[in-house]
Amino acid sequence: MPQITLGNIRKSFGSSTVIPDFSAQIEDGEFLVLLGPSGCGKSTLLRMIAGLSDISGGDLRFDGTAVNEWTPSQRGVAFVFQSYALYPHMTVRENIAFPLIMDAFQKWYHIPVVNSVMRWKLMRRPDIAERTDHIARQLELTPMMDRRPANLSGGQRQRVALARSLVRDPSLYLLDEPLSNLDAKLRTQMRSEISALHKRVKKTFIYVTHDQVEAMTMATKIIVMNKGEIQQIGTPDEIYANPANTFVARFVGAPPMNLLNVRQHGTVLSLDGGAEWTHPGILPTKQASLGIRPENLNLRPEGEGLIPIEVSLVERLGAETLLGCRMVSKAASETLLGEDLIFVRVQGNPQIEASARFGLSYAADDVRWYDQTSGQAVTVCDNSPLSRCA
Amino acid sequence: MTMIPRLLHVALVVVLVIFGGFPVYWMASTALSTNAELYNTGQSAGLQLQNLPSLLSELSKVPLLRWLTNTSIVALGTTVLSLTLGALAGYALSRFRFRGKGIIGFLLFMTQVVPEALILVPLYAMFISLGLLNSLWGLVLANVGFSLPVAAFIIKGAIDAVPYEIEEAAAVDNCPRFGVLTMVILPIIAPSLAAAAIIAFFAGWNEYLFAATFLMDNTMWPASVGLASFIGQYETPLSAVMGAALIFSLPAVVFFLIIQRKIVAGITSGAVKG
Amino acid sequence: MTDISTGAARSLPQRARKSRFSAKAVLPYIFILPPVMYLAVFMFWPLARQIYLSFTKTRLINPSRSQFIGLDNYDRLLASPDFYSALHITVVYSVMAVVLGVALGTIAALALNRPFPGRTIVRAVLLFGWAVPNVAASLVWLWIFNERSGVLNRIVTGLGLDSVPWLTTTHMALPSVLLVTVWQVAPFVMLVMLAALQSVPEEVREAARIDNADKLNIFRAVTLPHVMPTLQLVSLLVAVWSIRRFDIIYLLTGGGPIGSTSTLIVKLRQTAFENHDLGLASAYGVIGLILALSVATIHALFNRHRAKRSMQ
Repeated sequence: MPQITLGNIRKSFGSSTVIPDFSAQIEDGEFLVLLGPSGCGKSTLLRMIAGLSDISGGDLRFDGTAVNEWTPSQRGVAFVFQSYALYPHMTVRENIAFPLIMDAFQKWYHIPVVNSVMRWKLMRRPDIAERTDHIARQLELTPMMDRRPANLSGGQRQRVALARSLVRDPSLYLLDEPLSNLDAKLRTQMRSEISALHKRVKKTFIYVTHDQVEAMTMATKIIVMNKGEIQQIGTPDEIYANPANTFVARFVGAPPMNLLNVRQHGTVLSLDGGAEWTHPGILPTKQASLGIRPENLNLRPEGEGLIPIEVSLVERLGAETLLGCRMVSKAASETLLGEDLIFVRVQGNPQIEASARFGLSYAADDVRWYDQTSGQAVTVCDNSPLSRCA
Repeated sequence: MTMIPRLLHVALVVVLVIFGGFPVYWMASTALSTNAELYNTGQSAGLQLQNLPSLLSELSKVPLLRWLTNTSIVALGTTVLSLTLGALAGYALSRFRFRGKGIIGFLLFMTQVVPEALILVPLYAMFISLGLLNSLWGLVLANVGFSLPVAAFIIKGAIDAVPYEIEEAAAVDNCPRFGVLTMVILPIIAPSLAAAAIIAFFAGWNEYLFAATFLMDNTMWPASVGLASFIGQYETPLSAVMGAALIFSLPAVVFFLIIQRKIVAGITSGAVKG
Repeated sequence: MTDISTGAARSLPQRARKSRFSAKAVLPYIFILPPVMYLAVFMFWPLARQIYLSFTKTRLINPSRSQFIGLDNYDRLLASPDFYSALHITVVYSVMAVVLGVALGTIAALALNRPFPGRTIVRAVLLFGWAVPNVAASLVWLWIFNERSGVLNRIVTGLGLDSVPWLTTTHMALPSVLLVTVWQVAPFVMLVMLAALQSVPEEVREAARIDNADKLNIFRAVTLPHVMPTLQLVSLLVAVWSIRRFDIIYLLTGGGPIGSTSTLIVKLRQTAFENHDLGLASAYGVIGLILALSVATIHALFNRHRAKRSMQ
């Protein structure tokens, strides 16, 4: 079982650098999700771990051994492609058995007729046939073993791709956006199947996606990436609760965390256009943006609360309702402040209509602060002896 | 085109069918005529199927079977060698970037411009010293020079359409490098491979100039040279000549009709990119 | 190396240590070298030999004893009326083959581009000329052209005219050979053009129809530009094939009568195997090759020009 160490990994194509310097450690049995927008280098990173792309610089180590030069098969990884990359000329059975047959492949099997005969014989070798059938049963592929990929649905192809990667019992599973070609319903189902698979096989999974729901639901650890650099490493809960910077705050969560560019005057916060309120807690020592999740904002009747708002967008999702709100300044009631909506998440469907007015309140504990220039999280320190600050 | 009035369209199609089909029909009609008709009373325009037995007995005097055997050996040899080398070239041109790739692509294209007659004499001299003159294998070696590039272009075009991820999947699945080509890529492009095989096969089947020059011994003759030897001689009955020509043409016509669309794709992609 | 295999690698062969970069750089050449070597030996070496021979005095009787004479063969060529005749015939033959073959093939493609009962069979029949081997085609056309009992002359005399010596007079031989050439070439043109016509995007044609364009305008504005590159390509192919064509001319007329169908390539073989003059024969071939190459180059320049224009 490997522990994977990425040491100062760099990747460049010609003169353009995709990943400048990437270091991380992946422990055995982890379900690591590489999360980021498209083009952030997450797939490139996965392909370098698999051995499908050259590593331009740095060390990739499996249990301390540098494996930069190893071929994909030497690394003993399983790779599930976004397009599944099933062999279209083989049946489901042949697709699943292919890695096992290749493991038993001898040099002299390259001779044309021998090749067909030996592959035919290997397919029927008891251990290979048994293993193939076993995996197929696990993934409920048994009824379609003699079909070709062209005659399968998207979900079935996805399961064949999983079966083919499972069959050799590798210790490292690499999955490159495996669910992005499926429809929403099937995606939810496959998500739980893959999670269950991870719990059953207890191997390391590295999973690339741009979908934060997939990341939140499956990962034991998430690495958020942008422009080839690590933005944050943490458990889903940590990443959701304490985004390390404004990029993560905006990327994780739907709708994202509200970020308000507030100005501080003592304990009073103000926004461009005149909204002013007293913050119910301790403020950072320098100017910072205020970040708060939509579910941590509470609606109060108009005139109460800290920030007066007017609802301009209502999304009723059944179990919850999202309100897109604009701030109302104290002076002119029609003035709209700021371009971004403040999102508020409320439970159920309270039958709120657009243009309704409320006040917003929040608890100081739910607020995260971000440096207005660097975007990095700012820690607020009180003077209590139990403070977490140094 | 709907702008041609209907009647004109029908008339055009009829004229085209007569021009295109008549020579082949006439081959059959002549084969089924008696010598008396051909040389004196005049050939009937119909197909006299009742003359089939006499045609067969006349054909038995022509060493057609031996010629066709020789032709088949040449054609098969040309196919196997062209496809083997063409698959290597097509794969390399499709999947790798390497120094000299542009030049190699250009040279492959060049071969289609070179007249066969132009390399006839040096090949002749080379085959004398290699002992390949008067040998069917020498003929194969000469033919492959022209059909290999065609096969390479068709195969390259087909491999271009295969997603690269399938090769990566094979690499992850521990498939040997060469096995990726033979066990994954080539089976996937089997239809194009078949088209390339048919083109190479009938290039060898139809070839005349090299065969007529390199083969002195008439037991070695392929059908093209054997049939051409009828030109200007009077001993063999014309019906037998046409019968033999028809038998010689039949496989080519059938297979070319089967792969016609593939050939178009191969030629347009190959030549445009070449 | 002992406990590495406890890692991710299931079984680690010794060669894992070998640098993959050098192997990677060599890999393309492992694939490309056999075919390239083959062509070098059996195509380009003979070609180079032949070009070299054109600068030598070499007899077929003893090809190993050749004497370098510079451009003498080309001087002889330029001084001989045979050469100008062969060049003229080659150009006339190729141009006519392109014009007639491409025209007839395109007309046939247009005729087949709309559905009618029996279209598949008609299409198959029209392809016969392309599929029948050269030697078999020559045999049947020789019989059709036969002066005494051939079907063409039976029709001609049946109409009350004098029988025509199709292949045996100087003014009829080349047109007759061209007729057979068109029979062979037009089907191929048809096949390629038909594919091009069928790939004209239907939406564009429909958009033009909505814009109230009539059929002729749709053809000119939509169909023709779409098939133009294919038309050019197929013209190039027919031109190059005509310059290199040997079998059908040689078998039908042997280059005669009195050299009236002797193209450069037919002349090449004659000079080599009948006059045994390899040096001069090679010079004929080199001129033929230059001709074919310049046609291909002109086509390539056209293509580049068009590519540039479409970029702007």
